[in-house]
Amino acid sequence: MTALLFERSREDRVLAGVCGGLAARLGVDATLVRLVFALLALAGGAGILLYFALWVYGGGGRTWAAAALVAAAAAVLLSALGLSTATVIGATFLVAGLAVVLVRGGSLRPGGSLPKLGIALLLVGAVFFLGHNVTSGPFIVPGAIVGALVLVVGPWIWQLTSERAERIRAQERAEVAARIHDSVLQTLALVQRHAGDARRVAALARRQERELRRWLYGSGVAEAASLVDALADAAAEVEEVHGVPIELANAGDVPLDDGVAQLVLAAREAMTNAAKFSGAGEINVYAESAPDDVAVFVRDGGAGFERASIAPDRRGITESIEGRMRRAGGTATVVSTRGQGTEVELRLPRSES
Amino acid sequence: MKRRVVLVDDHELFRAGVRGELGERIEIVGEAGSVAEAVPLIRELDPEVVLLDVHLPDGGGEGVIAGVAAERPGVKFLALSVSDAAEDVISVIRAGARGYVTKTISSDELEAAVERVAEGDAVFSPRLAGFVLDAFADGERVGDAELDVLTAREREVLQLIARGYRYKEIAARLHLSVKTVEAHVSSVLRKLQLSSRHELTRWAHERRLV
Repeated sequence: MTALLFERSREDRVLAGVCGGLAARLGVDATLVRLVFALLALAGGAGILLYFALWVYGGGGRTWAAAALVAAAAAVLLSALGLSTATVIGATFLVAGLAVVLVRGGSLRPGGSLPKLGIALLLVGAVFFLGHNVTSGPFIVPGAIVGALVLVVGPWIWQLTSERAERIRAQERAEVAARIHDSVLQTLALVQRHAGDARRVAALARRQERELRRWLYGSGVAEAASLVDALADAAAEVEEVHGVPIELANAGDVPLDDGVAQLVLAAREAMTNAAKFSGAGEINVYAESAPDDVAVFVRDGGAGFERASIAPDRRGITESIEGRMRRAGGTATVVSTRGQGTEVELRLPRSES
Repeated sequence: MKRRVVLVDDHELFRAGVRGELGERIEIVGEAGSVAEAVPLIRELDPEVVLLDVHLPDGGGEGVIAGVAAERPGVKFLALSVSDAAEDVISVIRAGARGYVTKTISSDELEAAVERVAEGDAVFSPRLAGFVLDAFADGERVGDAELDVLTAREREVLQLIARGYRYKEIAARLHLSVKTVEAHVSSVLRKLQLSSRHELTRWAHERRLV
């Protein structure tokens, strides 16, 4: 059972605590809610029906019973406003049909499961509604136009939004993959290398668990609040895992936001690469915050490499550094010369805030 | 000939470490763990170089420099610490230290730094270079005081130091001689010590508040 949208109030009650609960949920004064119900009650008893509906719902989530009562309340209210019975019945069916479509879902696109019950209810509603109003003329033309528009444009809008959602999902997947690559896969590789050393393996596993937890349930990259703090954390982690000292220098600092967090992760990956592959005795990291952009340089004086010699399926540089910076709206430049070391330059434009 | 050095640091372990690693290559003539101990010791021993911790139990490293400089102007100071707030480091430099290195520095580099300071040159670690760039950032020229701003070249050199390039590598990259690079660094040090720009004071003050 899904969580209830509101619960009846035990403390603030006159009858069943419906108004109190609703007021607490909406964050308004309970007296105001009661006043609205009282006014609605005057409209043919709609308020009373609505109260019962919410009572039923708040008493254990009997959604369908509650929905029926709400529909009845709405029908009573519309009659009280002076609409004819046929219009009210038609409107009731239309609303019920829409509700069924929304709740049950379904698709008008090829291959989707048609919400048959919903469509049937909508048609019945339309027959009632139009059958009554056709004589009064002007309803039919705008109605037809709106109907056609909904049929034609609706699926298209649906498709657009679902494609957008798909794109966002793909981006999230790429970020997750980059993250897993940086942390879990690195740790697993280290665990394999140190398989004989039980203590080292245990320490690695503990670390990884802590880190993964922090990422899954915590604040993400680090508790640190600024670029330099987060870089210091990242440097400490890389030092701990790979045993290569990292010298961190900075001119200025910026608060941590999503983009800066990605910058830190890219820098971390660059540090890891330097620690693992360069053979250098020390890694230098320099962060510079100018008014319009932030730059981080990760440099080692080690072996250097040629880009062409790196297997394309190794995701470290393309995905965890370049791809990540691109997604964050920044750039990454890798300059490496055999025998003279490697420098990774990461730049991120400062956001307006 | 080995350089005569005094070590001033309140961490006995660190002093032992430096002694162990550099004892063969430099001559450690004395050690002190506080400002009160250090000042008379340095006056008496008159070493070439003092390795000076930025933080001491009874005051900052600048207290040692102030107590010694007038009587022993030939003594060079090299500040050294684990990790410090920028303003503390800048204060020690402004008090007269010829450079600043972090304690994670390798023995070879520390020896080279002692040598360089003894020769009268400046020693900027990457971290100090970053601090100085920050301190001189968006510096407006006060009047025509040339001391208040860094030249484009000086900035370039400092940035490369911050990024971890050695003097030799910087010289190669900028097509300069190592001597010229050293001259730029010394010039920055001079500006740092002599500039009266109130931005520098205000900057340190703001940093302290953050």
